[in-house]
Amino acid sequence: MAEINLKTLKIRVEKEIEKVKSLEELNEIFNKYLGKKGELTLVLHSLEKLPKAKRIQIGRSANELKIFLRAEFEKKSKEIKEEIHKALEEKEWLDITAPGKRPSVGHLHPLTLAKRKIEEIFQSMGFSVVEGPSMEKEWYNFDALNIPKDHPARDAWDTFYLKNGLILRTHTTPVDVRYMEKNNPPLRIIIPGACFRHEATDASHESDFYQVDGLMVDKKISVANFKAIVGEFFKRFFEKDVKFRLKPDFFPFTEPSFDIGISCLVCGGKGCSACKNSGWMEVAGAGMVHPNVFKNSKLIPRDWQGWAFGFGLERLTMLKYKINDIRLLRSGDLRFLNQF
Amino acid sequence: MVFSYNWLQSFFIKKLPGPDKLAEILTMNLAEVEEVKKEGQDFILDIDVRPNRAGDCFSHLGIAREIAAITDSKLKIPDSKVIEDRKLKAKDFVSVEIKDKAACPRYTARAIADVKVGPSPKWLKDRLATCGLRPINSIVDIANYVMLETGQPLHAFDAEKLAGKKIIVRYAKNKEKIVTLDEQKFDLNADILVIADGKSPVAIAGIKGGKLPEIEKKTKNVILESANFDHKIIRKGSRSINLKTDASLRFEHGLDPNLTEFAINRAAFLMQKIARGKIAQGLVDVYPKKVFPKRIKLDLDYVDSLLGTEVPLVKIKNIYRNLNFRIISSGSRSIMVEVPTIRLDVSLPEDLIEEIGRIYGYDKIPSDFPISSLILPKRNLNIFWEEFTKNVLKEAGFSEVYNYSFFGEKEAKIFGYKEKELIEVGNPLSQEQKYLRASLIPNLVKDAEKNFKHFNKFRIFELGKIFKAPFLEKRQLAGLIIGEDFYQLKGTIDLLLQKMGISDIWYDEHQATPEDSKGFVWHPKKCAEIKIDNQEIGFLGEISPKILSSFNLKEKAVLFDVDFEKLSQLASEEHEYRPLSRYPAAVRDISILVPGKVKVVDVLNEINTAGGKTVRDVDLFDVYEGEELPGNKKNLAFHIIFQAEDRTLSPGEIDEMQNKIIKALESNPEWQVRKQ
Repeated sequence: MAEINLKTLKIRVEKEIEKVKSLEELNEIFNKYLGKKGELTLVLHSLEKLPKAKRIQIGRSANELKIFLRAEFEKKSKEIKEEIHKALEEKEWLDITAPGKRPSVGHLHPLTLAKRKIEEIFQSMGFSVVEGPSMEKEWYNFDALNIPKDHPARDAWDTFYLKNGLILRTHTTPVDVRYMEKNNPPLRIIIPGACFRHEATDASHESDFYQVDGLMVDKKISVANFKAIVGEFFKRFFEKDVKFRLKPDFFPFTEPSFDIGISCLVCGGKGCSACKNSGWMEVAGAGMVHPNVFKNSKLIPRDWQGWAFGFGLERLTMLKYKINDIRLLRSGDLRFLNQF
Repeated sequence: MVFSYNWLQSFFIKKLPGPDKLAEILTMNLAEVEEVKKEGQDFILDIDVRPNRAGDCFSHLGIAREIAAITDSKLKIPDSKVIEDRKLKAKDFVSVEIKDKAACPRYTARAIADVKVGPSPKWLKDRLATCGLRPINSIVDIANYVMLETGQPLHAFDAEKLAGKKIIVRYAKNKEKIVTLDEQKFDLNADILVIADGKSPVAIAGIKGGKLPEIEKKTKNVILESANFDHKIIRKGSRSINLKTDASLRFEHGLDPNLTEFAINRAAFLMQKIARGKIAQGLVDVYPKKVFPKRIKLDLDYVDSLLGTEVPLVKIKNIYRNLNFRIISSGSRSIMVEVPTIRLDVSLPEDLIEEIGRIYGYDKIPSDFPISSLILPKRNLNIFWEEFTKNVLKEAGFSEVYNYSFFGEKEAKIFGYKEKELIEVGNPLSQEQKYLRASLIPNLVKDAEKNFKHFNKFRIFELGKIFKAPFLEKRQLAGLIIGEDFYQLKGTIDLLLQKMGISDIWYDEHQATPEDSKGFVWHPKKCAEIKIDNQEIGFLGEISPKILSSFNLKEKAVLFDVDFEKLSQLASEEHEYRPLSRYPAAVRDISILVPGKVKVVDVLNEINTAGGKTVRDVDLFDVYEGEELPGNKKNLAFHIIFQAEDRTLSPGEIDEMQNKIIKALESNPEWQVRKQ
């Protein structure tokens, strides 16, 4: 009798589950059969009144049915949930082509970005970043760098003279001497900083500008070492294999002296208006530290060898971001600045 | 400086590389050739000869010597062998006296008699024209030609016009005057070296000839000058009368005294050939202190070490031979090199190494990373905090500007700077750049003015140096916002300082002292002094209406200006987290009506004092000053957050504390807590 009941019960429940449309209905049916006072629960409760043999037999069947039905309910519940989610997904929609809403953040100046990059590259090669005063003594800016007074060589550095007796430094090279006075080699430094030249401003000249000087001094530092470091710098700064070349130049504070050209970033070296058809762009001056500069820095020239270089930060920044007019950098114009 | 390709070719038997190719090798091994231009049958090479090489390379022969060295070719020195007329004695034509031997280390003269002054032959005129000189007559042209060829400026006088047949090298007397060949009049002074005859100056030494003894068509006898002058004196003289010439350009860079002889003989040779002059016997030569070639010992290991590559000794010897340097002796790893006196730039072993490096070719030197001891780069905290600050401000919506380090009289006046506070530029580019900026604010306001045409809401900042008399330069940080209010900027300052690890920040009302009240930048009622502990680090607020009216800015601007040196001193990277309480927090609101001038900080203090430790935070969430509020009052609303670290606060406890706070607030008869 009870066995038959279980069989019909199973068929009934299966049919009811199949018809169910919502989780609420399913829950109701679940309670109806498997809840505290559900039919199957009651069957299981009634077992203890039966004789042992019967109890075992029916008990097993009832338990099997219970496990089976629980699985059925679980299955159905999953199906219903899936349908609900599917329906929701069908209903809801977002126009992902409409513009996003940006958090309002500011912008760092391109000179700051380029300067950071330069500092990062050199620091990773063991260089310290040091600074010095913008108002400088003539001694450090010229004489100590082997640029004598009353010599045409000085004409290359047009100078702002201040009424307090100082000048505005025309390069950051004076910090080479200031640093070497206080620190014994071996040393590796770069010196970013503001510099000033008394010359009219145009698309490629600025009277108020930044320079990054570099200096490496040790026992056996050579031109070949300079080529390796500067080549690595260009590669990392421009993020491509930039060809470069040294050609002779003259700076009173280095001997030998050279200037550094890189293959034109615009035409790749074929020749265009940006490089005046030469295929090359001048970016820096450099050379081996002149013995007089060591002497003026209170070092014994025979003991040390080193190289120094000077980059124009504006020039590198303009090349990197393809900025065609240097005056934009100090225009304070947000239409320009907000592009960085 | 421009050079003629054909002229350069004339020094070689071998055919030179084409003009473009020649330009390239000169650029790579001597100096930049800035332009190659076709000129008739010739080409012009514009070479940027560097000032250290002016002594030898401001001449075709000098450049030719370089080409010989670079291309390893043989150089043909032009003919300078003179045939003197024994019947004529140079000293019968002229005598030379030098008053200051330091100013004129050498004076060489020759007399050329019976010249036929006429136009120069075409080849000579062409070469002068190619180099930008106007042909005049054969005598003057030859003097110029030889200058372009050898680098030694020459001058020709009409012998008959020299009073007393004398040449005296002396300083001008005050109030002496001269009229130059091109009819310009100059007032001379005692700093200017002149060539005088028995009576008056006939030339400004090393700069320009005088009209008086000019070579004319009828000139018969010529006195040729080839002299050496001190470069500083010529430079000073040229500047003092503001006259630059081809001659002064060469002299002011310095020339080799030994060059005068070759040049004068070369010129005499040409005058004999072209103007059919007779060269009087004898070189008049005042040369008291002869200059001899330098000898420099060169350590070959040092050559390799400095260049970073081994240059074969054969190559080195060849380079020196082509440059006319002599190797006097060779040791095991060293050589003794004698440098021709024309190479004024070579006096150290490093100078000799440069010759090897550039002629051998820098492109032949490999790239080798240095072998060096590991020295860790030092951390630069100044730069660290600069970059840190810039990042915070960028994230807070500020765009960075770089302004000029100058400002003008106008800004100085508007912002009330006294002249003695400012550092004045002795030679400003313009009146707008008369002073070094003593503040970042004037230029920031100008930026705002410009940007307001395109944007009605923006935030900008600058971190840069300011300067104050007599010698101060320091870093300052300033920012400006348009289209937002004071509290927005105050919040930014709070954020920045908090990120920099600075607590104990507070804002004080500024009490202007009488002396800074004039020209005070800030709106007296809308500005705060930013303080950390008791240190004043800057200001925050609106610009005074008086100053604002000088600018074309319709919108109110709120600014801050802080001493970045102080700020980075106080900044710290240390940061510790505060353990989270395991017990829940409860929030109660309080709303209080107070007179309009009551400060929020006073109400906050009252709440904190009354509430004690369990008041974890008080948060002002609303300020209301509507018209319907009675008698100029305002309503302040706060969230009060109660939380204990050791237990869950019971509702009873919280009520008790809330009531205590209300009572404390209402102890002020003008304050009224609004019951919810």
